[in-house]
Amino acid sequence: MKSRRVVVAALAAVTSLVLAACSGSGDSSGPVTLKFQSLSDQPAAIAATNKIVDDWNKAHPDIKVEVVQAGWDGVYDKLITQFNAGSAPDIIHYEAAGVVPFAKDGYLADLTPYLSEQKKSDIPKGVLDSVTVGNQVIAYPTELQSYVVFANKSLLQKAGVTVPAGPTMTWDQLREIAKATTRDGAYGLSWGLSSPTAAMVALAPGFGGKYFEGTGTDAKISIGQGEMALPQLVDAMAHQDNSILPVTLTQSGSKALAPFYAGQTAMTIQGSFQAANIAKDAPAGFDWVVLPPLAGPAGPAQAANPQTLSVNKDSAHVEQAAQFIDFFTNTENLAAINEADALIPPTNSAREALNTKLGAQNGWKEILSSGQYLTSAPYLFVDKYAQWKDTVATPAYQKFLAGQLDAAGLAKELSDGWNSINR
Amino acid sequence: MRALLRPAQYLALAAYILFLGFPLLWLISASVKSSGELNSLTVSLLPQQWHWDNYSEALDRQGLIHSAGNSLVVALVSTALVIVIALPASYVLARLKGKVRAAGVGWILTSQVFPVVLVILPLFLILRTIGLADNLFGLTLVHTTYTLPFALWMLQGYVTAIPVDLEEAGAMDGAGRWTVLRAIVFPLLMPGIVATAMFAFVSSWNEFFFALVLLQSPENYTLPITLNMFIGGEGKVSLGPLAAGAVLAAIPSIVFFTILRRKLTSGLMAGAVKG
Repeated sequence: MKSRRVVVAALAAVTSLVLAACSGSGDSSGPVTLKFQSLSDQPAAIAATNKIVDDWNKAHPDIKVEVVQAGWDGVYDKLITQFNAGSAPDIIHYEAAGVVPFAKDGYLADLTPYLSEQKKSDIPKGVLDSVTVGNQVIAYPTELQSYVVFANKSLLQKAGVTVPAGPTMTWDQLREIAKATTRDGAYGLSWGLSSPTAAMVALAPGFGGKYFEGTGTDAKISIGQGEMALPQLVDAMAHQDNSILPVTLTQSGSKALAPFYAGQTAMTIQGSFQAANIAKDAPAGFDWVVLPPLAGPAGPAQAANPQTLSVNKDSAHVEQAAQFIDFFTNTENLAAINEADALIPPTNSAREALNTKLGAQNGWKEILSSGQYLTSAPYLFVDKYAQWKDTVATPAYQKFLAGQLDAAGLAKELSDGWNSINR
Repeated sequence: MRALLRPAQYLALAAYILFLGFPLLWLISASVKSSGELNSLTVSLLPQQWHWDNYSEALDRQGLIHSAGNSLVVALVSTALVIVIALPASYVLARLKGKVRAAGVGWILTSQVFPVVLVILPLFLILRTIGLADNLFGLTLVHTTYTLPFALWMLQGYVTAIPVDLEEAGAMDGAGRWTVLRAIVFPLLMPGIVATAMFAFVSSWNEFFFALVLLQSPENYTLPITLNMFIGGEGKVSLGPLAAGAVLAAIPSIVFFTILRRKLTSGLMAGAVKG
């Protein structure tokens, strides 16, 4: 899949030159129709998206928005072909990691002129940074997720552990709780780390880790204490404390939920959106809580990779598309769409609105709280990050977690691998 | 010893059929399990509770029936086109000698080495220029073009297997060229035509990437594209509805294969008699 992306991207670069002369401009007179390619996948989120679009269409008869429903899988290939053929939709739903490369290639409109100061100040700086390329805001963030700890309250209480209740909890606390709850055949933690790189780079800021300095092809990798702290902690928990259920280290996050439901593990680290699945799928009477956001020596920060809405630069109606995105991301709409997807709104006001509405429900308060710690993600702006992630980092982490590589070997593979592909 | 051989053969056959059919059984089982059961550690083929809602959700959610109709039309038309084009071409290819045949075979083999990702962009541009991007007929042409080389290769193997002596014998008996083809070659070739049609149908029915890129409007989506939308971002998968959708998606293929299988059998018999 990744090699296919590289080939498509290369083809795209060549073809775009040919197409540059062929691309036409749209007619700006008369009623405007905007195509909005949405990736909403949950029934509730699709309904919320359609409602927002209907509300817009009723209020703006001169600017009609049409939803084009698409799927997440393969959307990169679809978009790059569409961009090169000049047939991309006006409004594009994707994640920051996906749209940043498109912005760098000049496919996305600069939305900075349409971003009001009020909205700008409503978005935490780190989140805004994740959609800022150069000095241009190339997308509006719409939904976020963080990594949180879900705990089986009964198993914690059975082990004599007091459920942490502060604004944050430390990784050391997590380790202690995991050790204490590893008893009677149960493990303290399940953590699906079959694709470990995403979790490692997202959680590194809490340890002062950045992984990358600089942007584009000039980016340099830095594997120091901040980057190595988390993998070493996981290794220590898995192989010294024996408090992580070993099989989960090779499973996806979703798979690691099954032993949690079965009472085989007291806690599990998951994307925050899993709260909705746990509420739906956990056995009757399963008493679960979300623990406070995890904090490392550098605080509770996590790298943000928000879902976003951006505008095709070749759209004949960039301004109208930006107006729609502004409407889509107002407080009420962001709260609705994030409630439907069980994700975290990217604006303070929408997060507060959702907290007021759902804060009393299981997990929401802690999950929404974790949203305030989301910060910029340096890896988003590194050209060959995807290649490094798939061909270097993921196998290296897997070997490390399997005990086939020591810490020094992991650091060397991560660095050497980057230097090799970024020559 | 011989008395034991037959039961052992049946046992081995049953085991083999079970081995082949197990994924389908598991799919059907998953399609009637609740989300909670699918995400539990308890593994069983039979669901604890039958959960038919997956089917209604699959049907309601993504316009599955409409997409299945699109897939069926595209698959049937592209299969027909493949057979109509490949049948005479394969005969010529099989019977021809010399450099032209070598060039034809070379082209067929060469066409198989290009990954779809290399052709998708120019293809999209061509189809867009002639107004056939985001169009089911355009997708049908693409499926036909992409399946044709292998179908041609497959069918020419069946033609080669028919002894030229039979055709010569027919000619000796006074049959004209068309009569020889219709009365001798075509019946013997029927199993090959059926097998090639099955291959072309399945290739089109399951094809994902071309449809993903070429089709833009949800009303034109084919079944693989619609089923793909049950897989969301952040690793979210609606497993129950996806399994239910996949079971429903398999039905037209099974019906098509059942119909063609009879022809396959009759073709073999016809071939045996005439051969």
